[in-house]
Amino acid sequence: MSMAPAFAYHPDESEAEKASNSYLMSLIAIMVGFPLPIINLMATLFFYIANRKSTYFVRWHCIQALLSQLSLFVINTIGFWWTVSVLVRENEHISNPYLAYVITVFVINVFELALTIVAAIKTRKGQHVSWWFYGPLTQMMCKP
Amino acid sequence: MKKTILQALILLSMAAGVYLLISRVNWMKLFRIEKMTDALEQKLGDMVWAGMEEQSIEEGKEYDRVDSLVTAICKSNGFDRKKIKLHIMGDSEVNAFALPDRHMVVHTGLVNEVHNNDELSGVLAHEIAHMELSHVMKKLLKQMGYTFLISITTGEAGGGAIKELLGMLSSTAYDRKLEKDADIKAIEYLKKSGISPNGFADFLYRLGEKDGSLGSLSWISTHPDSKERAEYIREEARR
Repeated sequence: MSMAPAFAYHPDESEAEKASNSYLMSLIAIMVGFPLPIINLMATLFFYIANRKSTYFVRWHCIQALLSQLSLFVINTIGFWWTVSVLVRENEHISNPYLAYVITVFVINVFELALTIVAAIKTRKGQHVSWWFYGPLTQMMCKP
Repeated sequence: MKKTILQALILLSMAAGVYLLISRVNWMKLFRIEKMTDALEQKLGDMVWAGMEEQSIEEGKEYDRVDSLVTAICKSNGFDRKKIKLHIMGDSEVNAFALPDRHMVVHTGLVNEVHNNDELSGVLAHEIAHMELSHVMKKLLKQMGYTFLISITTGEAGGGAIKELLGMLSSTAYDRKLEKDADIKAIEYLKKSGISPNGFADFLYRLGEKDGSLGSLSWISTHPDSKERAEYIREEARR
């Protein structure tokens, strides 16, 4: 799921820290914002805005973190509103498709969480991490 | 660009695949959700009924009349009649409602208000539909929550909670969609029993006319838009 190709240049210590923080931001937001799915997205978005004029390495990783949070946001939002519907509407109730969706969301979130931790550790060491799909997409959006 | 789109599609397919794989497991059974709900429903039904048992009439002409109609509907629709615990309350209230665990309460006021057995069968079929479609527990779980319902059965919620629950089931309506679902199902049951749903429609229409003029018409005050319902029941009956 993740690759570690060579980056255009070797980032310095402060760049590596900021890039790593872009991933850490979503981890902290998960702890603070759960079960509200928008919190993670907002956190990574604000972090990107704050660093949009930063160096290429930092911007690149901020965008990759933001894009991954964007897809999680969609998946988690469906789960969130489905749960609200189960709690509030009389004709909506706990069903097998609902439980399967909640478990799927949980599995995807855990998987994404593991990838984020790995990315945060690697980028902190100054290594470049490019995720499958998100990496090439970030490459298209982020120019040196 | 093409490669990225392909990767996006593969990722989406993988997520969908994970969901399909997970949904093949019967989580409801695994988590014992249905069993737990059934046990809770039985306990609640018994507790609520214990609170009103003294006022019930378990024999007599009204009981026999309602019993024969309920039995006829159950027989024609393949339901186990023994599972329905029928109770007749001797007062002038025009009301009928379902309690958890298939307790069905019918007031003699309703039995006296109907003009014929077709009208009474319509109301009974409607209440049976609420039971068959599990509307009673759905309503309670939505409005009171699982934890509170469990606390009622353990006695932690206090005696007032049972009264509150009974009041909710006997004097407030289900949401519009559940009421319509019960009406449509009732029409199906009536047709299978060889009973014209027009009697049910006539009863609703007549009570709709009286709405507000008689204070004891509980069933109609908890089932609003009676004329509108009478119209779609007539329409469904024609199909």
